[in-house]
Amino acid sequence: MLRRAFLQTFRQGLAQSFFKRYAVSLTETTVTHQPIETSDEAGEKSVPTQKTGDESGNTVVVAPPEFRFIYPEFLPDPAMERRNRLREKLERMDMLQRRSVIEIPEFYTGSIMAVTVADANSPNKFAKFVGICIQRGGSGLRAWFILRNVVDKQGVEILYEMYCPLIQKIEVLRLERRLDESLLYLRDALPEYSTFPMDMEPERRLNNSVVPINPLKVKLRPRPWLERWERQNLQGVEDLNLPQRFYDRAEKVAKPWEKYDLMLHYRKTIPAEEQEKIFAEVHSQLQQQELKRKLRRRRGSDNEY
Amino acid sequence: MSTLGLLRTLFNPKIVTPNAIQLQSLNRTPFLVGLFFNHDQIRTMSRVKRRTTHPPYWHVLKNNQRTDEKISSDNLRFVQEVIQDKYKNKSPIKGSDLDIEKTEWDPKTKRSGVIARNIGVQHMWEKDGKKVICTVLHVLDNHVIRYVPPEEYAKSVIGAKMFKNRKPLGCLVVGAEASNPERFTRQYCSLFDEVGLLPKKRLARFIVTPNAALPPCTPLTAGHFVIGQAVDVYGKTIDYGFQGVVKRWGFKGGPASHGTTKFHRRGGTIGTGRDKARVWPGQKMPGHMGSERRFNRGLKIVRINMKYNIIYVKGTVPGPTNSIVQIFDTALPRRKFTEAPPHPTYFPPEDGTLPQEDIWDSSLHVFGSPSISV
Repeated sequence: MLRRAFLQTFRQGLAQSFFKRYAVSLTETTVTHQPIETSDEAGEKSVPTQKTGDESGNTVVVAPPEFRFIYPEFLPDPAMERRNRLREKLERMDMLQRRSVIEIPEFYTGSIMAVTVADANSPNKFAKFVGICIQRGGSGLRAWFILRNVVDKQGVEILYEMYCPLIQKIEVLRLERRLDESLLYLRDALPEYSTFPMDMEPERRLNNSVVPINPLKVKLRPRPWLERWERQNLQGVEDLNLPQRFYDRAEKVAKPWEKYDLMLHYRKTIPAEEQEKIFAEVHSQLQQQELKRKLRRRRGSDNEY
Repeated sequence: MSTLGLLRTLFNPKIVTPNAIQLQSLNRTPFLVGLFFNHDQIRTMSRVKRRTTHPPYWHVLKNNQRTDEKISSDNLRFVQEVIQDKYKNKSPIKGSDLDIEKTEWDPKTKRSGVIARNIGVQHMWEKDGKKVICTVLHVLDNHVIRYVPPEEYAKSVIGAKMFKNRKPLGCLVVGAEASNPERFTRQYCSLFDEVGLLPKKRLARFIVTPNAALPPCTPLTAGHFVIGQAVDVYGKTIDYGFQGVVKRWGFKGGPASHGTTKFHRRGGTIGTGRDKARVWPGQKMPGHMGSERRFNRGLKIVRINMKYNIIYVKGTVPGPTNSIVQIFDTALPRRKFTEAPPHPTYFPPEDGTLPQEDIWDSSLHVFGSPSISV
């Protein structure tokens, strides 16, 4: 019973924290904080705690549900044919090792980042690139993200592997989200939406607990486009102004039943119970690394004065 | 392939081993081919069966055939008690307790191999930043079941074939992955009674020189191998089932459009009309693809994890993820050992000091070390 209540609180806490963090504007969110019920299957909403008790009375460490969004690459590829728990565990240990050397910050599609990479062909042996993250993917040590910028009127996209040891520094200059998970439509958008100055300074976050969603609607260039954007249900583009036959064809080709296909979504994700286990495993080390970095930053800022 | 080579294979017929190249095409020299032969393909091993689904006739029946035994819960408990009594007093034997003769290693020694599971692939980086794909092999709980000396092995069916005109070598039977005796037959469990081990799911034979023989019940671990050595990995390739000619043989098929009627992924012509007016044996056609014995040779070991018994090998091995493979010291002459490896196998040190948990090759970038600056 307690386990069920706990699972329910995890999932509700997940949904809650998701909305708490990704507020559209900086207005207040109405989150009710109710006391934790330890008795029945009441399934009351509660703020997810770091430690909670199980039936035997031992404390079980549970990671906060936000970890699922901050560290998505810790979750393995859901394809069952290639899964192996031992290999995933070893890979996670290697990922934590790499994270102890370099800070891989929290970022989302739509965040503007600067990456410094060791480059033998560069004059000063390091190459820095600033761009907006248009897509991120991969799991484990293969995790990657693509940064896009327009340099000298030429659109440039670079795919970085997050755990590659050639990367010296990953900095998030502006942490925000957009209305879509993938911003590939920026390739067909007007260049000003992908242009960011190379010497951009990191911006201070107004509210540390909330990641703002930028409700920007992007204007696309006239057709031809690289993809059929009208078929992709994009929220972040302005009205495409296409002839009606495009939308009719999109409707014919669409698969509206997929949102009811539970098994499809089950096969594409890792079950919540397993996610809990995975993040509980890496939670303490990640927290320790965070603390060390905060201390270093504070000491660094103290030394400035 | 040159025409001289073609002539050589035709006039000196040789039984080629299954692991050699099977079918070669002469598409590169069409006019020379026209001079001598009408067909582009050389058919070696065309009548030999490539795979069987049944085990050899001398194997005992392995899996318990009666799956829904209607026995009462009391009897079930009794059966489990019997199993406990039979196997519980067996503790893992330490290296010091085994009576191993101290033998010398020489470059002609053939050591035992190891049974492992291919648990997937992990990407690692070399010290210059280059990415390498490494296969992660989990060395299962290997134990030596028995050693068959050379004279005896040469009398067996396979031994006689292998050592027909050569000096015979010994054979080590190694088992891996202990499991519940209830799922196996009595005859199969009796194979392990001599050593007193729980029956293993997987058995394998490794050909060894007599100086590398091991006594029964010896455990084999990841420490059996040395960092930087080359290994050969045997596995059965991914089973693709019945496949068409495009996927199986790489045919180009036909045009996808422009009015093509029912000719998109077919094979086309299968022979000429005139000379040898019939379909030649070995003609490439649709059929079963995969699930074949293959060796990937010369793979370098780049990392060993002694705690979890894991070997990271540079490259890929035959077979899908979570399949069983066998790892041997390499047969490639230029990559063999120059120094003595753990011979006949690795034993943890007597004084109880734990070995280094994670051993890396010098060419790899260790994840905990600082970022690479070129």
